[in-house]
Amino acid sequence: MVSTVLIPVLIISAIGAVLAAILVIAEHFIANYGPCKININDKRQLEVQGGKDLLSMLREEKIFIPSACGGRGTCGLCKLKAIVGAGPLLPTEEPFLDEEEKATNVRLSCQVKVRNDLQIEIPAELFNIREYQCKCAEIMDLTYDTKQFRFELLEPATIDYIPGQFVQFLSPVYDKSSEEVYRAYSISSDPVEKNIIELIIRLVPGGICTTYCFEYLRVGDEVKLNGPYGEFRLTETDAPIIFVAGGSGMAPIKCLLHQMKNTNSQRTARYFFGANTVKDISHYKLMKQFEADLPGFTYIPVVSDPAEGEEWTGETGLVTEALMENVKNTTECEAYLCGSPGMITAVIKVLTELGMDEAKIFYDKFE
Amino acid sequence: MKESPQRRELEEVLRSSKLVAYGFMGMDTRHLSEIIDNDLAEVSRAGYTLEQLAGRMQEITDQAATRFGGWVEINENLRARVVEAKGRLVCPWPHPGRFNKRVTMVEHLKTGETISWSDLNIHMISEHGFFEGKGSAFRLEPEELFQMIF
Repeated sequence: MVSTVLIPVLIISAIGAVLAAILVIAEHFIANYGPCKININDKRQLEVQGGKDLLSMLREEKIFIPSACGGRGTCGLCKLKAIVGAGPLLPTEEPFLDEEEKATNVRLSCQVKVRNDLQIEIPAELFNIREYQCKCAEIMDLTYDTKQFRFELLEPATIDYIPGQFVQFLSPVYDKSSEEVYRAYSISSDPVEKNIIELIIRLVPGGICTTYCFEYLRVGDEVKLNGPYGEFRLTETDAPIIFVAGGSGMAPIKCLLHQMKNTNSQRTARYFFGANTVKDISHYKLMKQFEADLPGFTYIPVVSDPAEGEEWTGETGLVTEALMENVKNTTECEAYLCGSPGMITAVIKVLTELGMDEAKIFYDKFE
Repeated sequence: MKESPQRRELEEVLRSSKLVAYGFMGMDTRHLSEIIDNDLAEVSRAGYTLEQLAGRMQEITDQAATRFGGWVEINENLRARVVEAKGRLVCPWPHPGRFNKRVTMVEHLKTGETISWSDLNIHMISEHGFFEGKGSAFRLEPEELFQMIF
């Protein structure tokens, strides 16, 4: 009786064990794509072990493709041309690619798995992107939820970047995050300080990287950055400038103002900084110093909801309202915006209604 | 009930910190299906639907988003603000769902109680009936939620 029950159980168990073993062996051999060659721009060839996504493979080879989401396929920044070998376009890539890009084999490198030889094209300037080993030299509270971090470059010891560009910060594994992730932050430093990268970071509740920076990172700790990236920069014209920023969006504008001061710029510039309360305004003294140093510069902080007891004699209301009130003729102007998507969309609408050509509005949306 | 491999894979993603710090499950040791079933039962008992909840949350978010981070009075009892950060949040379920990293904070003016949700929370409640696990950064207790927003 016992054997009639036990024998089938044993047989089924044995079959299960054999199938599991087959699966393990199959995974080892089938998912092992072996050595693959990646031909870059017909000029350089990498030999890699297949199996990972293209973005991380290139990163391991010290070729850094811009990415703000750490390879999760959510930012759409890590585009490159995959001429041969990338396989079919994935549904996760489609929302980020227009028809022309699809027709010319543009892909998101984080979504392309290296399974065979590949031929890719990347912009030549990306070869200049380097990884920097840095030491956290200073952490300064700017507001209740925003800090300024200064990193001293160790290796390489200096960096060249165009004011307005951003870097990627590597948030290491720590007890609230089991994986390394990269996040993009605009450089806020004075560009003459070639051995310093300064970032202004606002705490994101539950954010992997900002939690690391706010709760774990200490002065003296070593971290990694790579960059510089991005097209946000001042044009080489004399057009009057309208800067608009909110929150940590002040970072690239601060860097541009340092640049203007260093180059003795005579351009007229008005800087509308949107804050919810007076406590959200930081670097007020520095901005006033820029006003003294730059003959055509005016700083206009705008507070939407001054709290009770806060003495505020400056502009009140939304930054869009301040623009409508203060900006009359925009036809000759250029605008440089950095802040939340909601604010940028609203500012673009106001500026175009005021007559500004949309092609002269440059922005660094928080996306 | 035995969980499918897809469900197990999803649960692994939810418990990991791949997508958000601390993961979506917090310290909750219950299976995903149990969390969803319990929360859904609580919603039903209170006489609401997930669509009603998510719809009201979206309404508050849309109203609050008009002041770029400033407080907006929703009604005589509530005020709300929306704070945006760089980047996007991705839905852990296997479909292409991406949401602005936007957090709505709601405050009850009489009791001082607060509650916060992300755009992803609204989507996960509406489409997946998922309020996150207990102890996660953005867990929403259904009862607290409907007491606050209705």
